[in-house]
Amino acid sequence: MSIRFENVYKSFGPKKILDGVSFEVKKGQVLFILGKSGMGKSVTLKHIIGVLEPDAGKIFVDHFEVSSLFTEAGRELLPKVRQRCGMVFQHPALLDSLSNFENIAFGLRTPQYREKIGKTLTEAEIEATVLEKLRLVHLDPEILPLFPYEVSYGVQKRVSMARTLAPGPDYLLFDEPTTGLDPLSTSSINELISELSRKLKVTSIIVSHDMACALSIADQILFLDQGKVLLMAPPKIVVKSEIPLVKEFFEETLSLLPPNWSLE
Amino acid sequence: MNELLKKGFEKSIDPVMDVLHEFGGAWIFLGKVIKTFRRTSGYRKAIIQQVAEVSTRTISTVIFAGIFVGAILVLQFDTMLRRFDAEALLGGLNTSATIREVGPLIISFLLAGKVGAYTTAELANMRVTEQIDAIESLGTDPIQYLIIPRFFGVVLSSVVLLAIGLSVSVVGAILVAQSFGGINIYQYIASIPRFAGAWTLFEGLVRSTIFSTIVATVSTFKGYTASGGARGVGKAVTQSAIYINIYIVLGNFISSSLLEWIHDLTYFVIGVFERIFL
Repeated sequence: MSIRFENVYKSFGPKKILDGVSFEVKKGQVLFILGKSGMGKSVTLKHIIGVLEPDAGKIFVDHFEVSSLFTEAGRELLPKVRQRCGMVFQHPALLDSLSNFENIAFGLRTPQYREKIGKTLTEAEIEATVLEKLRLVHLDPEILPLFPYEVSYGVQKRVSMARTLAPGPDYLLFDEPTTGLDPLSTSSINELISELSRKLKVTSIIVSHDMACALSIADQILFLDQGKVLLMAPPKIVVKSEIPLVKEFFEETLSLLPPNWSLE
Repeated sequence: MNELLKKGFEKSIDPVMDVLHEFGGAWIFLGKVIKTFRRTSGYRKAIIQQVAEVSTRTISTVIFAGIFVGAILVLQFDTMLRRFDAEALLGGLNTSATIREVGPLIISFLLAGKVGAYTTAELANMRVTEQIDAIESLGTDPIQYLIIPRFFGVVLSSVVLLAIGLSVSVVGAILVAQSFGGINIYQYIASIPRFAGAWTLFEGLVRSTIFSTIVATVSTFKGYTASGGARGVGKAVTQSAIYINIYIVLGNFISSSLLEWIHDLTYFVIGVFERIFL
């Protein structure tokens, strides 16, 4: 069980976004992808779930070669890959026309989910799953009948996480999950990600700018720069790296870490 | 100098290439929608809901416009026919022109502004806020979940709204003809069958279906493929309105030529049939 990139290239017009990216995330690992804006971090995640097609190279999610599923026949298999990956987007990306309850239940009503579990969930089972996931993201059931625009941005982010968790994905992909949040909400979302990754033992890939969070949660940290993998290593090695961009990120972070901070 | 001419030519041809590029994209998108519709099922409820939403949102505009479409034509025709003492033909000419040409065209433009812009804005907003990506990531085909109900909702409700709009414009024309033109209402109605028969209704229906399909295809296509944040939404809505109007005008020209050809061919075949068998 792993996600593997083999020499992946992607350009948008003349702009090279991914330039021969290769890496592997093994089962149960938490990988942080760090890098400056526009360096292809979110694009990397969108390739995993097959929202974007690579120009060259191979992407594997377990035994599925996602990069080969963009043919007419392959498209039938894409939902199966997506079913394994739960993605939390930069924005909450909740459907405006559905209540928070229906948003969380969305993935439980799809034919792919029915196929995965081999039956159709009853309304009572759906409600129980929604409530269980809501507890995981520390939200009260009172927000369930409300629409996304009736709750705060921070709550929307949590609802979005609950929606992603509902179908029980094998992989969790977070695309800058703390973007647009105040420092308090940012730290609580970071704690939540850490808790979810550990509690559910789900393989997670987190795209972020937050080095402090990466150092405390990640098993591996990957730096992307100019579409290339600059470094992929455990936090212990990252903090000792002499690569200028990595050093710059770490030095910026040092001021945010508590005085008695240590990787142990 | 040559370089300058080349650049000038390229610049002037760019908008034409854009229209052709968008046209190709819209056709491919239409093919994808129809293909997905044919291999999947269970849309009835979602489509009925869309038809109801679109119709209730637009019916007042269509009725209001319908009255004036008929009224304007009556005033124009009345002025011209009076010169030749041919007011008796007003009802037929006006109804025929309204149902065949002016009604579908003007009401489609209104639908483009109201239904088309709304659909594009809604889908484009969903695209730029990653709602469509989220639907895909949860293993659901957005074409199936979002586009098909909206596409058929727009097509069906547009045909229904056009039918209502045309009926209202015919009634509006009768009222204006009687109130402002002093035309005898019975004389007006009696002349209608002379110019507007089954073929006229067929032409109106074909045009309405073509224009509705254009509104539905372009509005969903531009919304679905939008990118670039709030600015991208604005751009998608503007382009959607422009392209719908361009394609409707082109569609009108092509459908007019084709319908005329079909009309002539039908009468030729009927003529041959009559000579042989009667």
